[in-house]
Amino acid sequence: MKNHSQTEQAMFDDQEGSEPILDKTWLSPPGFFGWFTHVNQRQIGFRFVVTSLIFFALGGLLALLMRLQLVQPENTLMGADFYHQIMTMHGTTMMFFFAVPAMEGLGIYLVPLMLGTRDMSFPRLNAFGYYVYLIAGITLYIALFLGMAPDTGWFSYVPLAGIDYSPGQGVSFWTTMITFIEISALTAAVELIVTILKQRAPGMTLDRMPIFVWSILVMSFMIVFAMPTVMVGSVLLALDRTFETQFFVAAGGGDPLLWQHLFWFFGHPEVYIIVVPALGIVSTVISTFCQREVFGYTAVVLSMVTIGFVSFGLWVHHMFTTGLPHLGLSFFTAASAMIAIPSGVQIFCWIATLWGAKIKFNTPMLFIMGFFAVFVIGGLTGVMAASIPFDMQAHDSYFVVAHLHYVLIGGAVLPFFAGLYYWYPKMTGSMLSERLGRWSFWLIFIGLNLTFFPMHQLGLDGMPRRVYTYLHNMGWGEINFFVTCAAFLMAFGFLLTFINALISPYQSRSAGNNPWHADTLEWWAESPPRNFNFRHLPVINSRTPLWQKAPLQKVTGIRADRREIIITTLLDAKPQGVCIMPTPTYWPFILALTVGFGFLGFMFKPILFVVGFFLSFFAIVGWLWPARPWLHEQPPEDGHPVRGLQ
Amino acid sequence: MRSPRNNERKTAYEDVDVSNYSRHLNGHNAPIWWGIIGLILIELSVVSAFTVTYLYLYMQHGQWPPADIPAPPLLIPTWSMLLMLFSCVTMYLAGKSIEKNQSWHFVIYTFASVIMASSVLWIRWLQFDNFDMRWDEHVYGSLLWTISGFHFIHIVSAAIGTAAIGCFGMAGFYTKQRQIGVVVDTMYWNFVAFAWLPFYLVLYFFPRL
Repeated sequence: MKNHSQTEQAMFDDQEGSEPILDKTWLSPPGFFGWFTHVNQRQIGFRFVVTSLIFFALGGLLALLMRLQLVQPENTLMGADFYHQIMTMHGTTMMFFFAVPAMEGLGIYLVPLMLGTRDMSFPRLNAFGYYVYLIAGITLYIALFLGMAPDTGWFSYVPLAGIDYSPGQGVSFWTTMITFIEISALTAAVELIVTILKQRAPGMTLDRMPIFVWSILVMSFMIVFAMPTVMVGSVLLALDRTFETQFFVAAGGGDPLLWQHLFWFFGHPEVYIIVVPALGIVSTVISTFCQREVFGYTAVVLSMVTIGFVSFGLWVHHMFTTGLPHLGLSFFTAASAMIAIPSGVQIFCWIATLWGAKIKFNTPMLFIMGFFAVFVIGGLTGVMAASIPFDMQAHDSYFVVAHLHYVLIGGAVLPFFAGLYYWYPKMTGSMLSERLGRWSFWLIFIGLNLTFFPMHQLGLDGMPRRVYTYLHNMGWGEINFFVTCAAFLMAFGFLLTFINALISPYQSRSAGNNPWHADTLEWWAESPPRNFNFRHLPVINSRTPLWQKAPLQKVTGIRADRREIIITTLLDAKPQGVCIMPTPTYWPFILALTVGFGFLGFMFKPILFVVGFFLSFFAIVGWLWPARPWLHEQPPEDGHPVRGLQ
Repeated sequence: MRSPRNNERKTAYEDVDVSNYSRHLNGHNAPIWWGIIGLILIELSVVSAFTVTYLYLYMQHGQWPPADIPAPPLLIPTWSMLLMLFSCVTMYLAGKSIEKNQSWHFVIYTFASVIMASSVLWIRWLQFDNFDMRWDEHVYGSLLWTISGFHFIHIVSAAIGTAAIGCFGMAGFYTKQRQIGVVVDTMYWNFVAFAWLPFYLVLYFFPRL
């Protein structure tokens, strides 16, 4: 019997009758206005995933529009202007508004559950990041509907994107919103890092951490070091456009190539920022559907870390045709080839895991198998394009379009959809339809191969990228017609998954806590998890806590009447303290509005940036305003941080 | 029987009771401490991107700064840098006084730091007037203005943030147990002060090479 005498009112989550109180403590307020106050990690993560899927659908529709324009030579469905806008928006949407937020959203939703905690380290910052993302995305699409969308490609090369060649607000929307949305990516990254390092369940040492969490950790560190570079780049471009600074203007002593360096120093790691969490999903799904631990845990983790490091040394392979010195280029060829080593190690570890296992081929596993095939093909063309002589020929042709879609759809979209089928039961409490899932997978798999494989041929035939039309006598008409038809097939496949996700909650296929008999902690919670994630916080003794026979030990002494989570040491996850988490509030939403006002205002009247800056300051003070009745508290004596005085 | 897996041989935890663990996290045990480290890492990436941009453009030119433009004067920027670095000492002392629960010392040291930062801002503002080149004439001017402006905004935010902290201190909010706000504000302050060093080197010494 514990002594609770020092606190009359305090209620701990190990006490009888604490469950309703715990539930109320972690409640997200209902209702329309309540929606803007939510800070719980599951709500925010879920919103990230859903919003990113909406952007995925929008980006896909734009791709279909492009394919309709290219279906026959000299098609007049749309003009060059509009084509360039939707082409730019397709790339920007898929990279910045789908891929990164989708992976981060999965991380935000799953990481705290996998770590056995009740929320992330900075719940309000989490909410702020979401609103920033939402505002940036909506703004860009409003610009598209106003015909003011950027039209210089998702990488906005100067001098084309400079004010001389792209007057008007289109590219300004791009530079502003890219800078803006990176704030969202960066807040989520810091949040994920701190949560992973400091909030693991007691006993979850670094080498017991689920591989998916490792992949999110690597992704987050990559975001921290890569995204600031594109922010600097886009800020400099915005200054060039607004104040006529000369950073990228050759006439003023600037250098257009500087833009490419800044952009690709971010842009290449960006590919791996998207792919690394996908690799984590692959390991997780393989492990569950083989019902055994992934072979070579250490090797897999170290491979992901190595990929993270090496990916920062590859950016110049996007610039092979810019006339840089050859000796330097050879280094980047070597580095580009080197990335095959850690990727290969992982593939072999997965093969070893699959070897001799009784594999269950449910839909998530099908998507993983698709990942193997597609990603390997994308990797092979990658090795081809990493060699300079070949790249000189294939550069700016449809070969590169084929390559990058194989890598990104194979390396990120298929694993992400595997993850969606895998974790949907946890998020919603009901299973997705297997039948629709299989149809969806096969249509996507066949559709994407029929869409993108012929593009290799188009590229070798000389068809350049980013053209809104082509002439009859080039002979590219048949393949383009075929590709357009196949693109609709693939789109139909994706549509089936969307339908599946929308109708499944209404069909009674209750998931139960652990439908796949998986080993990681998120399956210990109910499906969908209660407000408090876990009724008790777990203590971990192994890498596969749910496959061990003994029941999990529990943490006691966590208050139920306020939001408390446990902080553990960085390496060994020894309990270190208890942190009181903030409650729902409007401030993150207000701050996102004021920051957004500053950024958008800058586009039209630079002085509005200063206004936004000070409005944001007041929002931050309001956000941090101490809400507890701290003036009446007695500070506890040294060494007696006991119950009741917190 | 011994488990064949390495990770299952380690110490098994029993139920853990955390009711008597501290709820006042003031250092490495506080998530916000790590969060600020993350913020500083991000900002360091930004600082290095700016520095590398400067060096990259510097290497593109034989003549730097462009002809007829003198290298910027050293004396005043050096003083403003030293003043900013000195304000780290008063911020440190402010933290020390919270350790000893001396809240009025804390308020004095905080506002001393804010006043020093404001003087630095004033000096920088005068410097903007005296730059030898506008930002839109040549990339040299663009770099000078942008990097100085970037750091200017950081001092502004550190100063008004710390002023807010000082006001909370006047209301008696900070105590030895509840000082994490001061700790992380000081970390950010130190970062802002030291982030000027690479900028100072490139802006004021590379034009002299």
